[in-house]
Amino acid sequence: MRFPSESWFNAVAEVFNGDESFQGGGGGACNTLMGAKVGDRNFLITFEGVECTGAREVKAAELEAADFYLDMAPADWRAMIQNIASNGHADLEYTLNTLDLDREQGLAHSVHGDQYREDLFFRYNQTLQYYFDASARVATEFGQ
Amino acid sequence: MSEARVWPAEADLDLGWMKQRGEWGMKATPSKQGLTLADIQIGSYGDPVDRSDNQTGRPRGAAARPNSYRIGGYAVVNKSEIWLENASFLYEEALQRQWSSATDVPWHTIKPLRDDIEQAQCQLATFLTEVEFVAGDVPARWISNTTPDYFEPRQCLLAQVMDESRHMDVFRKRALANGGGLMLTSGGTAGVVGSIDLARDFTEMSSRLHISGEGAVLTIFRMGELMAYNDAEKAIYRLCAQDEARHVAFGVMHMRYMHETAPERHEEIQCYLDEAERQILAGSQNPAGNQTDASEALAILLGGGKDKYDDGLNKLLAIRKRQVQEYIKRVRSTGFGARFDNGRSQLTEMLNQAAA
Repeated sequence: MRFPSESWFNAVAEVFNGDESFQGGGGGACNTLMGAKVGDRNFLITFEGVECTGAREVKAAELEAADFYLDMAPADWRAMIQNIASNGHADLEYTLNTLDLDREQGLAHSVHGDQYREDLFFRYNQTLQYYFDASARVATEFGQ
Repeated sequence: MSEARVWPAEADLDLGWMKQRGEWGMKATPSKQGLTLADIQIGSYGDPVDRSDNQTGRPRGAAARPNSYRIGGYAVVNKSEIWLENASFLYEEALQRQWSSATDVPWHTIKPLRDDIEQAQCQLATFLTEVEFVAGDVPARWISNTTPDYFEPRQCLLAQVMDESRHMDVFRKRALANGGGLMLTSGGTAGVVGSIDLARDFTEMSSRLHISGEGAVLTIFRMGELMAYNDAEKAIYRLCAQDEARHVAFGVMHMRYMHETAPERHEEIQCYLDEAERQILAGSQNPAGNQTDASEALAILLGGGKDKYDDGLNKLLAIRKRQVQEYIKRVRSTGFGARFDNGRSQLTEMLNQAAA
């Protein structure tokens, strides 16, 4: 599966939805619209209840609808996904929260600037981590 | 032959209670997330009164019993004093996102650390255990002070107490898990942190606890992930941060409700924020703020040892800046953000000076 692509995010969603262990241990109900900005490509990923209900590629302007979006250069996305693939989950240096704190401008942003909605990145952080950790079970190729 | 007493026909059961009931014929429908509190806000059951005279513990919507004792002595009887629009949602979220400090933290990943690192972890764990005592005690008092007619925010606070209880135990466990132990108490609970409990008004308490205090602790928990030395510490801080973000959300939404519905209290609330920001500026509210035992511990952990203290301190200062930025954006989200544009708040000036 090629990253970044709508089909890659949906393949990860399928793994995520199929593993009930992701619903416990601080995971569980999660209701948010998350964006992902990979270079000049943009995606919206929807979480409803205990499921990721789908991902779609959108134009940059449509990121405005997201509660928050994760913005990294393609090389950084690649490093995170490869780290997850090689460990089965993100190691100490590559969790979403660490990547957010490591960057002066942070990893999670929003167009609207409403901190209540941006805080959903923290409130649902374990679920979002589980989602990306699920990518360890998706064979990934890189490139546009 | 049966020895059961034979009652005369006129002594039939008195089933009068069957006719005394709340609105009848309710048929709540589960939503995609199960049968949630939001799903049962139907008919009169979903309509809390603006002012409650319920001092008896009667569940909202149940028929009143005239001879009930006044068991409550509830002080919070006005909806606007405690209300927020999404309390049911936050409560369900709290229930569904619980975790166990015993089994959801990979304790086996903790390995011996350098002495200075272990001591710093233990100092921070001591501080956080102490702070979480306050964070549990304070909402607990307000639960018993609030009429059952406003059960949605009450249940959010009940869930918060459970969360804080888990935070207390997980940091105590961390202190005792790797060759160290508890260290010097900060005394913070007798000072600024403890003063949260002196509030006599719920909104005053919430502005101190949820917006200012827990907002700061949220940043510390997130920072904890950055200075974790193993997967166990990483998980502890990440999971605590999730809970804390939910408590902050409660405060933001209550404050937003106050902004929208109680204009007569705006100036009073601005004064609460003045006070909270004085604590932020003085740095006496959280260990990211000033030079305390806990802040030194943070700098050692962030730098990677006491020999790299300055590196750690620089990271700490950068994080404190983000802490303040996030606080400002949260207050803006409540509707009380004009203070950052009209010169009332000194925080924007502080950020500008830091950037210069």
